[in-house]
Amino acid sequence: MKYLVLAAFIPSIATAGIDAVIDEHILPAHEAFTVATEELAIAAQADCRAEAVAPAYHEAFDAWMGVSHISFGPIETLGLAPAIAYWPDTKNSTGRHLDRLISVEDPIVEDVETFANVSVAARGFFALERLLYEEKYTGYEKGSYVCHLVQAISQDLATLAATLDAEWQDNFAQTLRTGGASGNETYFTEREALQAVFTSVVTGLEFNKDKRLGRPLGTFERPRPTRAEARRSGRSLRNVTLSLIALRDLNDALTDGAATQTQAAFDRAITHAETLDDPVFAGVADPSSRLKVEILQQAVTATGEAVRIEVGPMLGVSAGFNALDGD
Amino acid sequence: MRKDRRGFLAGLMAASLTPSLSWADAGNPSFLAAAREPDGTYALFGLSECGQDIFRIALPARGHAAAAHPRFPEAVAFARRPGTYALVIDCTNGRLIQKLDAPNGRHFYGHGVFLNDDTLCCTENDIESGEGRISLWSRRENYRRIGDFPSGGIGPHDLKLLPDGETLVVANGGIRTHPDHGRDKLNLDTMRPNLSYLKTDGSQIDRKELEPALHQCSIRHLDVREDGLVAFAMQWQGIEGEAVPLLGLHALGNPAVFPEFPIADQNRLSGYVGSVSFAGNGSSVAITSPRGGVLLTHGLTHGTKIWNRSDICGVAPSGEGFVSTDGLGGIFSVVDGKPRKLALANRAWDNHLVAI
Repeated sequence: MKYLVLAAFIPSIATAGIDAVIDEHILPAHEAFTVATEELAIAAQADCRAEAVAPAYHEAFDAWMGVSHISFGPIETLGLAPAIAYWPDTKNSTGRHLDRLISVEDPIVEDVETFANVSVAARGFFALERLLYEEKYTGYEKGSYVCHLVQAISQDLATLAATLDAEWQDNFAQTLRTGGASGNETYFTEREALQAVFTSVVTGLEFNKDKRLGRPLGTFERPRPTRAEARRSGRSLRNVTLSLIALRDLNDALTDGAATQTQAAFDRAITHAETLDDPVFAGVADPSSRLKVEILQQAVTATGEAVRIEVGPMLGVSAGFNALDGD
Repeated sequence: MRKDRRGFLAGLMAASLTPSLSWADAGNPSFLAAAREPDGTYALFGLSECGQDIFRIALPARGHAAAAHPRFPEAVAFARRPGTYALVIDCTNGRLIQKLDAPNGRHFYGHGVFLNDDTLCCTENDIESGEGRISLWSRRENYRRIGDFPSGGIGPHDLKLLPDGETLVVANGGIRTHPDHGRDKLNLDTMRPNLSYLKTDGSQIDRKELEPALHQCSIRHLDVREDGLVAFAMQWQGIEGEAVPLLGLHALGNPAVFPEFPIADQNRLSGYVGSVSFAGNGSSVAITSPRGGVLLTHGLTHGTKIWNRSDICGVAPSGEGFVSTDGLGGIFSVVDGKPRKLALANRAWDNHLVAI
């Protein structure tokens, strides 16, 4: 009897998980991202000046935080992530590529299709952020080259978002939903589909821990506040908070809300993030305020551990056997 | 005295019992691969060309790579780094032929290769000095340790035999580790990996160091083509996100070349290559990144092709192309960059797939 119950229970939670992940998380988040980037493109077209575009830029970036952790599917197969968000940018590639485009007034900005051939470093949110917030571009005027560039990057983002959205709706939702079905060449079993989502949660948390928090933290002897993500537009902490919220939602959908320890860990981390008064992690250079960022990082680490320990066994999956071995 | 006599007798037994057997007696497997089973135990598998199980031998712990004897059905399974033992297994019946123990002050690095019918070579760490060593073990003497010599660098990992049958090529990864610190990397600022070509008398034929800017590209895995071309795969230890070469090709007497990949493909490798193999026909080379979840084939004629597959790592030559294994239990044939599923086992295949 006991076995019967188990056998009936496990597959249902798994399929319910995938359907909820798709219908309640992935598809709505992509739709929201598409809408927000369309509005960004429209706003930039109407008035390209920084103060006019900034609100739509923030809305669109917020929406990106709702999808950026979904690292499998079309974003992976089409390799679109760097074109949307080129970060970390360890060699200032974004700055250099923008300088080059602007210095020669490269006409590539005139057509959205040709603009897709620009280096990924000069596309997406981080290129746009520079133009809107960096001092050297302050006060660019309507009709100027920078103005056209702002419009081109905004339109390109809308196109990228629409591409992802369409791919999910037309193809990949079905691929993820039918793991193990004959003809599914991406997920040969249902468990592989669950594994992809699970890995997304794990790597999303790691990205927050190692990159969004780890890069500005640097070491105690050498903190690196200027390495904070999106610090020019004051979004460093906001990105962590929104990303954690999106990851919590994804995890809840995946586990049908059954992973209570993981939920508690997410809640703790999100509460820390929401009460932290350090929008660009400038405090990492001061020992007392640094501690608060470290505590947030520890809370994110603990959440990752909870996912591995609780959610992995619940779904019968584990994070990469080889990916984590490192040899 | 007594110990010597026992060793001698054991040697006689080994020599008299096994020479008549061949890989056919073990079911003619094409590959060896270690795996973790669903119950958390570990085993070594012999696999057919089509990815079907030929044999299964339980292992006491997680393995890393295996070395297959060129003629006799014997496999050497190495413990995961920093392991102090390797197991020589009779693949016809799963029995332990010999346990190789690293001497005091040494540990294995996880790879080994047969130099000929009699001599097994293994990479080792001399723990206190940090010097890489190659140890020699004689099959005729029941796998007695018969000597060792410097590997030409720090942290040797993979090693392979050149087609001349007497020159070893060693991937000195450059990373100093100490078992007291687990797998912690103790010298990332000063590491200098190299590719060393060695004779078994310890003499060095050539040593290839990377340019200083690439000194944090740890050379870790190797394959050798019939004509002696060496493919070496690297793992980047520097600032994350930098586009550095992760595959190199080198022929003795020539400069190394580093194939360039489209930036999107380069990024997908996540700075980390887990295995490397030439195609069965030698026309291309495949590298895997379990971290990026990709297998990338670089062809002399058909350019670069990339295939997404979660936790993919093992890759070995087969037919015109490759066979690859992953942590989800998949075994795939990859020809011209196109994957075809051969089998899906309910186990996690470990890092390396070894062609017999």
